[in-house]
Amino acid sequence: MKSKSVANFHSAVLRYLLLAIGTVIFTLPMVYMISTSLRPNGALYEYPPRFFPRWEALTLENYEYILHQSKFYLNFLNSVLVSVSTIVLAALTGSAMAFVLGKFQSRPTRLLFAFIIITMIIPGTTMIVPQFELATMLGMVNVLWGLIPFYVAWVIPFTTFMIKGFMENIPDEIMEAAWIDGADVWTVYIRIATPLASPAIASVSIFNFLTAWEEYPWANTVINDNSKRTLPIAIAGFFGQHQFTQWGYVFSMSVLSLIPVVLIFILCQKFFIQGLTAGSVKG
Amino acid sequence: MITKSRINRLQIVGLILPGLLVFGMFTIYPIVRLFWMSLCDMSFASMLVQPYTGLTNYREVFGDTTFWTVFANSIVYTLVTVPGQMALGLFIAILLNGIRRFSVTFRVINYLPVVTSWVIASLVFRYVFNTEGLLNYFLWKILGITSGNVRWLDTRWSGLSVAMILGIWKGIGWNMVIFLAALQQVPAELYEAAEMDGCSAWKKFVNITIPAIRGTILFALIELTIGGFNVFTSIKMITGGRPAHQTDTLLTWMYYKAFSTGRFGYAAALSFVMALSLGLLAIVQFRMMRNRDV
Amino acid sequence: MHTFTRFLAVMLACIMVMSVCPAVAEDTTVTISFWHHYSAQSAENETLMNVLIPAFEAENPGIKVNAVSHEWAELHDKILVSANSNALPDVARCDIAWLPEFQKMGILVALDEEMPDFTDVSGRLLDSAMSTTRIGGHSYALALNTNSKIVFYNTAMLEAADVKAPSTMDEWVETVKKLSGENADGQQVWGWNEPALAGWNICPLIWSFGGSLTNEEQTKATGYINSPATVKAVETFAELVKAGAITGFNAGDIPMTDGFGTGRYAMMLEGPWKSAELAGAYPDVSYGTAPLPAGEGGSISVLGGEDIAMFNTASKEAAWKFMQFMTSEYAETEMAKCGQIPVNKAALESDTVKAADYAPFIDAIQTARARPTVAAWSEMDNELQVAMHAVVSGEKTAQEAMDELAAAWDLLLK
Repeated sequence: MKSKSVANFHSAVLRYLLLAIGTVIFTLPMVYMISTSLRPNGALYEYPPRFFPRWEALTLENYEYILHQSKFYLNFLNSVLVSVSTIVLAALTGSAMAFVLGKFQSRPTRLLFAFIIITMIIPGTTMIVPQFELATMLGMVNVLWGLIPFYVAWVIPFTTFMIKGFMENIPDEIMEAAWIDGADVWTVYIRIATPLASPAIASVSIFNFLTAWEEYPWANTVINDNSKRTLPIAIAGFFGQHQFTQWGYVFSMSVLSLIPVVLIFILCQKFFIQGLTAGSVKG
Repeated sequence: MITKSRINRLQIVGLILPGLLVFGMFTIYPIVRLFWMSLCDMSFASMLVQPYTGLTNYREVFGDTTFWTVFANSIVYTLVTVPGQMALGLFIAILLNGIRRFSVTFRVINYLPVVTSWVIASLVFRYVFNTEGLLNYFLWKILGITSGNVRWLDTRWSGLSVAMILGIWKGIGWNMVIFLAALQQVPAELYEAAEMDGCSAWKKFVNITIPAIRGTILFALIELTIGGFNVFTSIKMITGGRPAHQTDTLLTWMYYKAFSTGRFGYAAALSFVMALSLGLLAIVQFRMMRNRDV
Repeated sequence: MHTFTRFLAVMLACIMVMSVCPAVAEDTTVTISFWHHYSAQSAENETLMNVLIPAFEAENPGIKVNAVSHEWAELHDKILVSANSNALPDVARCDIAWLPEFQKMGILVALDEEMPDFTDVSGRLLDSAMSTTRIGGHSYALALNTNSKIVFYNTAMLEAADVKAPSTMDEWVETVKKLSGENADGQQVWGWNEPALAGWNICPLIWSFGGSLTNEEQTKATGYINSPATVKAVETFAELVKAGAITGFNAGDIPMTDGFGTGRYAMMLEGPWKSAELAGAYPDVSYGTAPLPAGEGGSISVLGGEDIAMFNTASKEAAWKFMQFMTSEYAETEMAKCGQIPVNKAALESDTVKAADYAPFIDAIQTARARPTVAAWSEMDNELQVAMHAVVSGEKTAQEAMDELAAAWDLLLK
């Protein structure tokens, strides 16, 4: 018995050690990004290069520069508006579809669901050419709001898929009782189904938020004006300027744009994990 | 059957209609349109007149040496990053599954790369791997592993490697979470029984763990394969396809053809080929996992 | 549980209100969009945003200017794409090499036909610069600024190596090699920086070596881009790259200005805007300038510059006002302060321009040559880059690569 507990102890130490090493490797790039954002631009090609800036060279000048540009707030606001609109609209349309597809199963609804799932195989970016043409026809090029329907359409399959599982688990008895009480379909959806599925809606919304917050290829293709750019485009634009790159600015802007995401992630960690595992274990 | 009469068909349709409309218009229509575009001669010059040209675009795609280069790049990227993330993610999940304290902390930290946006992560990697960057200094001057600065971003395979390292780094957290959930559902009795029989840790892993989480492995495999072919932002930010399109992947090359040279028909054909290959691949993966069940 | 539904409803209401608001706020002002490639953090962009546009808007109440900055190559692509999505800007600052392509697409306004006072306005600008806007007998833009590239060298590095700025191509090869190696910290340094392998970068070398790209009529490349002199230029360049004496075009290289400012690149071929950029980012580096070394073909740099063009979807009246403003003496003088050589005759005579010491650049312009003025130039340029890469990476010999390029170009020139 004793030898076994010793072995357990050893294995636990080994586990923590490996995890600690892994964690260091995981966080190094992010720490380096933060440390770079805290040094003056001139020190970027200093020799020898340093992981941490020299103490006396530590500066907030990059942040001051970014925060003094009204453009940054505009880009930030654009990202917030687009992401929030996307998650709200996706939650509304997706949960309604999930409710119908989950609770009124018939041949047509099952087929429809299968069809929606199959489209998930096609990566979103492959459709960028016809989508661009569509955006042109609808006058959605260089329109901030024009991003939203495309984002909603992208996340609908995943949203429906995730919420449908929850909807299916709503006991039929509850619904029967509602019918007997004289409720109609809309009432049941709003009063019964949505509240019961709200954990799933919340967790899928977090994912949708991330998707919309960081989306780059599409926004970069259709948005031109600086005042309509979302954060990823603004950051990439900062970087892309021709023959020199102010990494300090790029990274301080990156850090600022990561703050909301990391906050949401840490605060809603529970929902995150729930959402992820619901998808994988069922699939 | 009085109850059923309450189920108003119109209301049901009303509920799914908004979602279906958005989905149909912005996803289904583009897919159909994509196919049609791939059969037409669409370029900057002929945007308004789009003559049907049959399979010409496909012939051009397959006859193009750059296509085969970028196709190979995408396949290598997928073949490396998918097993890479899965193995490391599973490994960390197993480590986490056996500890009690700090489990959540580790999980949160390891998940952070997943929530970091592609644009930002790519720029960080580009900065770290730049020829005069910190990594080269570390490898050369401190560890002495290399005898000079490695030109990470300058050649086809090293440039792709950087993108692949980024892909793995960014994907481990996701795999970790879903595998951890799967591991937690494996009945403990199975392991206890195996222990009685004196099975080694490796044997337990192969004979109990793997079969028990097969569903999750399949799920991850399909999701990640799609993700692997979807690689775009990291390539665009890290190498931009340089040198001479050698590090482009299917999507960055498609994008270049469409939005830099205006060959929309070519791009559509390329996209369609890609969607078809992915569909086939998903079926094959599905079959493979099911066959082993038998 | 109802809170979540309520939250959704409130959010939706907010969005609807917000999406309606901007529409209500609109009034009768005309907003013209102006696309350009002054880089976002440059002195030029500061001048544009903080001096020129406010001045223009004050002069012309009722017109607002929405300036959009794109990266050079991206601007070209964005214009092509926007032409098909009815999202073209009203006015754009275009590289002189792009005009034939845009003209062929039919998206530019023939100014001499549509603007009654065109002759007056264009008369204020240098005729040599205005010639870049004429295609097939019509003028499709106003010349905005002109430039060419000369050699910038790091004084300290040349002194340390005990060399002078090269004046012939043979000296250039020697000097570039001599300046390369390691610095005191053991870091690699390069004698010459070339940030890309495009025509803008390679043409000066080809021409100065006595080579050429196409025939005079710009209809044929075989016999020109693969002529012995051209191949010699390409070979020389590739050998210097392989010898570790030239770099800058790889994805992992130090960007040009940073490398020059930190003493890693000893020399570079750059335009008049570089002085302002260096003064801003690396004020401590001491440097000198010299003309491009002369080879068999002479000292022939590449003619750069931008035109300001109007697209056919523009609000023409407002756009034309803005174009006149941007090419006026006032605007051109302001821009001259940050490295844009004016083409406005009055601005050229101003004290600011005389004080700016553009003489070496203006000398270079006298002998500089323009890149081919054909609609297919962008595609040709892409092919050139691929071919150049094949040579510097050693996949193909210069002769092989240029022969293949000549065949490809012949097709494009047809």
